[in-house]
Amino acid sequence: MGDLMYEEVEDLEFPDDIHVTSTGISNEKLGMWVYLASDCLLFGGMISTYLIYKNRPAQIEGLEGGDIIPSQFFDIPFTSMTSFILLMSSLTMVLSVNAIMRGDMVRMRLWLVATTVLGSMFLAGQAYEFTIFYFDDGLGFTTNVATSAFYALTGLHGVHVLIGVIMLLTMVGISYRRKMHAEAVEVVGLYWHFVDIVWVVIFTVVYLIP
Amino acid sequence: MRNKRSATIWTGIALVVVLFFGWLLVRDIGLPGGRALTTLSPQGPKAQEIQNLIIPVFLVAGLVFVLVQVGLVWLVVRFRRHKDDRDGVDEPEQVHGNTKLEIGWTIVPAAVLAVLAVFNVQTTLAMDNADDPLEITVIGNQWWWEYRYDLEGDGVVDIITANDAAIPVGRDIVFKIQSNDVIHSFWIPALAGKMDAVPGRTHQRVMRADEPGIYQGQCTEYCGLSHGVMRMQVTAYEPDDYDTWIEAMTTAPAQPDPDDELAIAGQELFVTQCSFCHQVNGLDPNSSAPFEYSDLPDPDYGASIDIPLASGNAPNMTHFMMRPYMVGGLLPAYEGLSRGGGGDQRTVAEPIPSGTPEENNLKQWLREPESIKPMNPDNNQGMPNYNLTEEQIEQLTAYLLTLK
Amino acid sequence: MAITEQTPLELTTGEDRTSSAGDPMGVFARPRANTGWRSWVNTVDHKKIGIMYGVASFFFFLVAGVEALMIRTQLAVPGSQLLSADLYNQVFTMHGVTMVFMVVMPLAAAFANYLLPLQIGARDVSFPRMNALSLWIWLSGAIFFNTSWFLGGGADGGWFNYAPNASVTFSPGFGIDFYAIGLIIMGIGSTVSAVNLTVTVLNMRAPGMTLMKMPVFTWMMFITQVLLVFALPVITVALLLLSFDRIFDAAFFDASKGGDPFLWQHLFWIFGHPEVYIMVLPAFGIVSEVIPVFSRKPIFGYPFMVGSGIAIGFMGWGVWAHHMFASGMGQMSILAFSLATLFIAVPTGVKVLNWLATMYGGRLRFNTAMLFSVALVGMFTIGGLSGVSHAFAPADTQQTDTYYIVAHFHYVLFGGALLGLFSGMYFWWPKVFGHFLGERLGKWHFWLTLIGFNLTFGPQHILGLQGMMRRTYTYFDDQGFSTWNLVSTIGSYIIAISVLVFMWNMGASYRKHRRERVDPGPDPWDARSLEWMVPSPTPEHNFDETPVVEEFDEFWHRKYGHDENGRLVRIAKTSDVAQTGQNANVHLPSPSYWPLVIAISMPLIGYGLIFNLWWAVPGAILLIAGCYGWVMEPSTDPAGGHHHDDHDPEAGPPDAAVAELAKGEDLETGMSNGTDDGGPESSTTEEAPVG
Repeated sequence: MGDLMYEEVEDLEFPDDIHVTSTGISNEKLGMWVYLASDCLLFGGMISTYLIYKNRPAQIEGLEGGDIIPSQFFDIPFTSMTSFILLMSSLTMVLSVNAIMRGDMVRMRLWLVATTVLGSMFLAGQAYEFTIFYFDDGLGFTTNVATSAFYALTGLHGVHVLIGVIMLLTMVGISYRRKMHAEAVEVVGLYWHFVDIVWVVIFTVVYLIP
Repeated sequence: MRNKRSATIWTGIALVVVLFFGWLLVRDIGLPGGRALTTLSPQGPKAQEIQNLIIPVFLVAGLVFVLVQVGLVWLVVRFRRHKDDRDGVDEPEQVHGNTKLEIGWTIVPAAVLAVLAVFNVQTTLAMDNADDPLEITVIGNQWWWEYRYDLEGDGVVDIITANDAAIPVGRDIVFKIQSNDVIHSFWIPALAGKMDAVPGRTHQRVMRADEPGIYQGQCTEYCGLSHGVMRMQVTAYEPDDYDTWIEAMTTAPAQPDPDDELAIAGQELFVTQCSFCHQVNGLDPNSSAPFEYSDLPDPDYGASIDIPLASGNAPNMTHFMMRPYMVGGLLPAYEGLSRGGGGDQRTVAEPIPSGTPEENNLKQWLREPESIKPMNPDNNQGMPNYNLTEEQIEQLTAYLLTLK
Repeated sequence: MAITEQTPLELTTGEDRTSSAGDPMGVFARPRANTGWRSWVNTVDHKKIGIMYGVASFFFFLVAGVEALMIRTQLAVPGSQLLSADLYNQVFTMHGVTMVFMVVMPLAAAFANYLLPLQIGARDVSFPRMNALSLWIWLSGAIFFNTSWFLGGGADGGWFNYAPNASVTFSPGFGIDFYAIGLIIMGIGSTVSAVNLTVTVLNMRAPGMTLMKMPVFTWMMFITQVLLVFALPVITVALLLLSFDRIFDAAFFDASKGGDPFLWQHLFWIFGHPEVYIMVLPAFGIVSEVIPVFSRKPIFGYPFMVGSGIAIGFMGWGVWAHHMFASGMGQMSILAFSLATLFIAVPTGVKVLNWLATMYGGRLRFNTAMLFSVALVGMFTIGGLSGVSHAFAPADTQQTDTYYIVAHFHYVLFGGALLGLFSGMYFWWPKVFGHFLGERLGKWHFWLTLIGFNLTFGPQHILGLQGMMRRTYTYFDDQGFSTWNLVSTIGSYIIAISVLVFMWNMGASYRKHRRERVDPGPDPWDARSLEWMVPSPTPEHNFDETPVVEEFDEFWHRKYGHDENGRLVRIAKTSDVAQTGQNANVHLPSPSYWPLVIAISMPLIGYGLIFNLWWAVPGAILLIAGCYGWVMEPSTDPAGGHHHDDHDPEAGPPDAAVAELAKGEDLETGMSNGTDDGGPESSTTEEAPVG
């Protein structure tokens, strides 16, 4: 039986050796991919909601607060800068994964911390932007459906970034305690890149397209 | 061959049973009598077109139904395992599939459906066609319907009524369907399919009645507490009768007889109590009883519930007794009409009703509205119980009966 | 596991993991109880989790069944005053939501959890702890949802919960808050489970088990999980927006403030239609296992069965708006969705015909499992045909929201899903519990169910075409609805009796088993797929050694071959090809309490959002503590299990032994960080914005 298995397996669908999972991708990585696929539709739903509602209040005659549309108040240079910071964090994430691949734990930690800092800067930027919107421009969450949709969408993304930051910090903490596998960092990196890419979409759709 | 005989017998029995149930179904749904809401007794061209589309579909589906069920019985009996069959010896042929056959039974149903789909497209596109239509605005409310007629098409509403819409026979009607609160669905099954009334949108449904009569309808989108009893009617009149109806609806109702103290007192009570929500057109609260009426509906009607006499969040009462039904289309206003719209499916209505009013229905409604229709007045949904005295009920009834 | 074997790069300064028990993080040592109730609470065993899914969803089946009886009793006679309109509206809403989210879906999940790893020759699912997490989250959400009965009344918006009727303005009670938050919680559980099972099927297959050698049940379950992965986030968005509307005064669905009620409808049905297939595909899978076994023939046209399942899964995304033909969409949308809906009938029809063809020429053995499966073929066909009749959009404007629709989807969900699930229970009961369900009572159960079901829902076709609308708490004696409503109510009580018979059967079978101890053996039905290779009940480690798969219906081919005339002949005794379950040297994933802790936190946060935000604080603390504990927990208990080198050297050459380890037992070693961070934490993002 065992012999049979060993020979048969050679020409079956397993790519390199039988130690690998059926697809050759580890469970963790595949699980993250599948989860991110699911997350795509979460953002897809929210982005659609925003697109439907972004100018709607202004089109309804006599709607209270209908003239307050988030897009009037966007500070494109500022948001471009925070977007750039978030994109840079993807680079540091790659460097971190690269470092652990080489077994260089010190650099891995360094780049993880750098990613965390960049992510936190993005979050701080978002918080700053929200306070300006809220206090100076009068964009409340319940002002109208456009502002609600704006806060819901960007807030959902912000929460994703926040969770990413917590995950990165946890990785740093664990790296002092346990042996780590390169792929653990890689899987968190997948999540991080996804959150970045989603931001590129949001930034384009919400901020740049009039 | 084993089992062959019994398979034939059982298949026959199954066929008889299935056909019997099929006949029961066809017989029962084919009987319009007593069933005011039946979908399979069209009385107008739009409903007829739907009928023409669905009957062939039912026939094809019925055929497949009979074939599968009877075939299943045949398989079950024919290939039943014998007691003395031995595993490993008396084994069936191991058939793994038959690609040609399977492609066949993928393509054949697809082809049948493709043919039917052509008719589907035709009928769908035909649903909105209307020739020189009369437009009537329908507004869904929890839990009653309002109709607005703009006869000249000049943007001024000429007639406001509730729950019972009058239409002329033989003319296409376009119902412009809106909603004031939640989603309702406007459905007169004998005339056309249903259409949702969605707040913030205007939808339309075209229908035409070929025969005069009262056509029953029912709200079919779940709209909260009293959804189950949210009824409406469309009454089709011969063109002459329809003109009579228009004439009556656009003139002020007769004043209560100055000697009729009961009705005069009722009118005062109406102004002080009911007019917060219900309107009688042109009734001026600043004059004194007996109040005068004007002809046209208040142009601000329905704009705000803060203005007495123009409230509009309850049925307009100006020509209350012109309607064959009251209380959200739920109770007959005149003797001889049935509550569920049953009996003969269509009751031909007079343009100006002359029958005996069902006073008791009205009194019961004024006495205990929640006993007839569940409501939640604390949340502004439905009519509160004002704990009227019997005397007040008598007065109000006397007044309301004058509103023709 | 790949990573383990690829000599992962280690932290040069890091301590060896096996010594981390003494580490400060060792406070989170794995629980070790493997007997008594604790073994159920902390288990990560897919079989125990499957059984718990089954038990819990059967409980909710009884709850929803009682609600159904209340509905039918109210409608037995015209003008009934038994339930008030308000209570009736709550009852039908709770019945629908409970049946969909707390009965059919988790009952299918019970089968998926128990059987998927067995059918693909795996030791467990890919993430055992996350599997426990999804069970507990679902259960806490389900209990949370049903506590609304005691906290101001159940949801009353219908299962579809259309805006704006679901807004605070029109439904001021707490019921709809429980609906929104309860479904979000259950959705998190289902998402975790769907990710887990998707990865399991893709990654954990035994050597040689290519996708096109997987049993049809596995295939259907796989498609179901993929549908869940993509459908759940959509409803989550809708529910989040609804919660924002109700709890934080937003106006996403309030037309008077610029919101659009259509947004809810579209989001709901984009989820809602795939959901229909999510509920019915598992039953199709079960039937596709049962019919071949009792026909003693392979499934007819395996590629078509799989292909039609995939086709249904794909097309199911393009038909959602057929729920909205009367909603006032544009004519072109109506046409597009109407045509798409018509053609989804084709792959479904292929399935029915292939089942019939499987039976053709077979030697049909009619025990209860087979009876239920055959009944499904007949009953589902009726539901499918009535479904075709309202794919015609104009006809649907007459039929929708009438009892014709109620009849249709009960023929699909009861006649399809539930009959299939009952069939599966009779079929796999010996595998799960080590004894048969009684056949005599089983046949009573079957015939009562079949008769009661048809009496209940058959007449509703007639009622619907006669114009009786659904969700009505009453009707009048002169509407002509009385006779068939009474028949329908009588039918529903027959169903109730059949369920009692089933419960009696479960009890009686167990008592008989206690008395007589008849071992059903690994393969009582002379069946075809891998789960019948292992003893009954399944040993904790599933397979002594991972089977190597060469063919579809692998186990059958180990027992049967063909003689020179192509006749089927037995080539091996079951006892020769089945496993004994004696191999005790298998390393199993360690149990954990953290899934339960995380799950308990969610309803606490839910209550906080509804009643008083302060109540959410203990929930949030538990959630954070749970996630922290989860991440820090040693992923395998160093003192509590076997290790690679304990492995029985006789089980195969070293490489094969390692392969087995890689397949199943060593699931979490080494890689837990990524899993733990990526899994539960990111899945909680879906509820985070509410918190």
